Amino acid sequence: MTDLLLSLGSNAQARSLFRTLGLPIPLPATLRRARGPVSDRELADKKILFAAHADAPLASMCASALARAGADCYLDDFEPLRERFRGPCEAFGRGPHALALLNESTKLDGVVVDLSSASAVGDLRVLYSSLRGTVTRLRPSGRVVVLAASAAEGDAEKRATQQAIDGFVRSLAKELGRNGSTANLLRVKDDSESRAGAALTWLLSARSAFVTGQCLEVTSSARTVNANTGTHNRALEGKTALVTGAARGIGAATARALARDGAHVVCVDRQDDGALSALARELSGRAVALDIAAEDAGESLRALFAERPLDVVVHNAGITRDKTLARMTDAHWDDVLAVNLRSIVETTRALEPALREGARIITLSSVAGIAGNTGQCAYAASKAGVIGWTRAESARLASRGITVNAVAPGFIETKMTEAMPVAIREAARRLSALAQGGRPEDVAEAIAFFASPAAQGLTGHVLRVCGGALIGA
Amino acid sequence: MARTKRERAVIVSGVRTPFVKAFSEFTTLDTIALAKAAVEGLLRKTGVSKSLIESVVWGGVILPSASPNVGREVALDVGLPAAVEAMTVTRACASGLQAITTAAAMIERGDCAVAIAGGSDSTSNAEVKLPQKVVHAMAPLALGRPSPGDYVSAIAKLAPFTDVLPTRPKIAERTTGEVMGEAAERMAERNGITREAQDAFALRSHTRAAAAIASGRFDEELTSVSLPNGNSVTSDGLVRADTTLERLAKLRPAFKKGGTITAGNASPLTDGAAAVLLMSESRAKELGLAPLAAITEWAYVGVDPRDQLLLGPALAIPKVLDRAGVSLDECDLVDLHEAFAAQVLSVTKMLASDAFARERLGRDRAVGEIDDARLNVHGGSLSLGHPFGATGARMVSTMAHELAKSDKRRAVLGICAAGGLGAAAILERA
Repeated sequence: MTDLLLSLGSNAQARSLFRTLGLPIPLPATLRRARGPVSDRELADKKILFAAHADAPLASMCASALARAGADCYLDDFEPLRERFRGPCEAFGRGPHALALLNESTKLDGVVVDLSSASAVGDLRVLYSSLRGTVTRLRPSGRVVVLAASAAEGDAEKRATQQAIDGFVRSLAKELGRNGSTANLLRVKDDSESRAGAALTWLLSARSAFVTGQCLEVTSSARTVNANTGTHNRALEGKTALVTGAARGIGAATARALARDGAHVVCVDRQDDGALSALARELSGRAVALDIAAEDAGESLRALFAERPLDVVVHNAGITRDKTLARMTDAHWDDVLAVNLRSIVETTRALEPALREGARIITLSSVAGIAGNTGQCAYAASKAGVIGWTRAESARLASRGITVNAVAPGFIETKMTEAMPVAIREAARRLSALAQGGRPEDVAEAIAFFASPAAQGLTGHVLRVCGGALIGA
Repeated sequence: MARTKRERAVIVSGVRTPFVKAFSEFTTLDTIALAKAAVEGLLRKTGVSKSLIESVVWGGVILPSASPNVGREVALDVGLPAAVEAMTVTRACASGLQAITTAAAMIERGDCAVAIAGGSDSTSNAEVKLPQKVVHAMAPLALGRPSPGDYVSAIAKLAPFTDVLPTRPKIAERTTGEVMGEAAERMAERNGITREAQDAFALRSHTRAAAAIASGRFDEELTSVSLPNGNSVTSDGLVRADTTLERLAKLRPAFKKGGTITAGNASPLTDGAAAVLLMSESRAKELGLAPLAAITEWAYVGVDPRDQLLLGPALAIPKVLDRAGVSLDECDLVDLHEAFAAQVLSVTKMLASDAFARERLGRDRAVGEIDDARLNVHGGSLSLGHPFGATGARMVSTMAHELAKSDKRRAVLGICAAGGLGAAAILERA
């Protein structure tokens, strides 16, 4: 599973040799990733620049989120924005500082641009003018987050303007990838500002290392259930989570991430060959051997959670039976659809009474489900189906404060991808902005984020954790 | 938070040794000897019979490794009855206050009715430590009968010969490796505390302490200490009555090039001890003693040491005020431990900040602006010095005396401590 180019890329001499020889191979950057549980100070001592169009409607939200997370706030256009940042920054001793006073050679960890008030094509120039000079100052594994309004509201010019930001961010993501840096778009609906801080912090943090070129939208669709406790430390304490397909790969990483943040994790897999129970022991969780595609799976799960309400469900179990349509057999088709899609529909139906208000459902889709792939007619159908299901259920369960989101992994270094033919694997790794495969932990971080109480403003999303894969973007 | 008390704990009296610069007069006295001097002074001053004492709770930071339960050693050295139980607590610079609040809690619970609490430290006697590498390599030689081969292999284990010299302890955070002065330096920068403001605060500390000394205000709180050479120390050694802003301004930054923390606006390494006599209110009454003050509430907090190491009091003070159900305005005296001028000014700035209250305490209005006349009325650790374990007890003693003398009603204390800890307590006129 070693990625030769990635190891070469982390070697300074190899990097300079490649540069000198002018080899047309991009050396991927080693991504900065987070270690340990989520904390209140995810951005401790990070230098984050804030720039904005005109009145910067989201400045106060940003100031509070950044200072609270431990970031030092820098302002490009100092005087007009200073007052908005003063309070929160003072409370946490975090500036605000004028960018002009920062040594030219000092690198920035992130840039946030608030374009939520942009309504005319001319307003877009701020994107160009505020980022052109500053992206070159980004540290490796730096972050750009553009804040925008909903692209589905306002007159035609406003919608055009807001939609234009999308193309900008996706392109910038591709340009920044070689540095291990990411660019993402966060849309914030008018009435949802108070819910946006958590998503902003997460996108700026090292936990979103393999997420780039993506758009999230913060809304108030999912009803507020209980006031946020205000802390991200062990945010899942006292909560129960169910993870299917937990024995290995992304499922195991997810179970670990949820347990790390305090959840009691029920680990489900088709059979227990030792790995499942070992994981459950490690996490002080519970192992349950259960084929979720079986007829009576729903019944079994209902019985399992009759006494213990559920807070988080991660529908991770999935299989691949890759065959071109011409070579596919009945069993291939039926198994893939049954495990990857039908089981989600049916087990959720059975579990619904056990779901607590404000619960979280996270499904696993796939970049193949968005873009399609040779030999994956069945797999892609099932993963695209997951997206449809996720959107529909997110709307239906919003009144109970339950959020439903999908995570769509791109190329992730797992046992499954290790079995791929070398040439295809190499191509898959490199065909992304970050020019490398992700790790199961990268997907787990996205799932853990959607599972956190602070993510109440996000529902019905399909978040790609793909390193900016060039296909299907 | 509803807590029931059987008894109210009162401060009957308090006494401390003079505080002197480390490696000066007290160098030959270890922390136990200093503690003994303070406790003997306390017993002499109050005239309370040794047989009345039930417990000793002692605070210390640099504990002697051969006898870490300093409290018990002091009880034995002073000649308290063998039945007097004793313990030692450690909570960095809040150790002295911890000793007192632990004793107060014992009294409130009815575990005992009369206790001596306090703290001491002898920075001069901090133990020089052999590196663990050497300790581990030498272990086979210390256990059993070593053969010549054992010596050879012990030496081989030490190669390469780096990190083998004994090291002096330094005041660095275990988690971050940061020296406390560096943490204070960052706080000054982050909270916008200027060098001028720090020097002015340091000068104020010296001026006030010098005035208190000149007026004899500390006389009844001080006990003289006899030295092995026959001399005795009778007065504080660190307060500079003659310092000026100009002199302070000339000092060079001690922790960072272009920094603002100097030897003048940081508390010095100090040797000293302080002790307090606590009783249940009813026992004090029975004995016909007039308590100085009651210790009514206390609170401890923790902050991330990687953030602002010494900001704890800004969170502990609102917490203790809430517990007591009073506002900062209702406290006639405010006594803050002066680890660094920058740290005190950061804390007072945050207490006065509406934004801090809103963002970090979830309330609309600032905790309060501290009127200069009420803050550290007789100076503090910057001028008097800071024997780590003794400072909390020194503050309780001075504030208890001040409440009694000036007939004020209430004092609030705030102490910052290593590890990102903060402490606060409330004393009320008994």
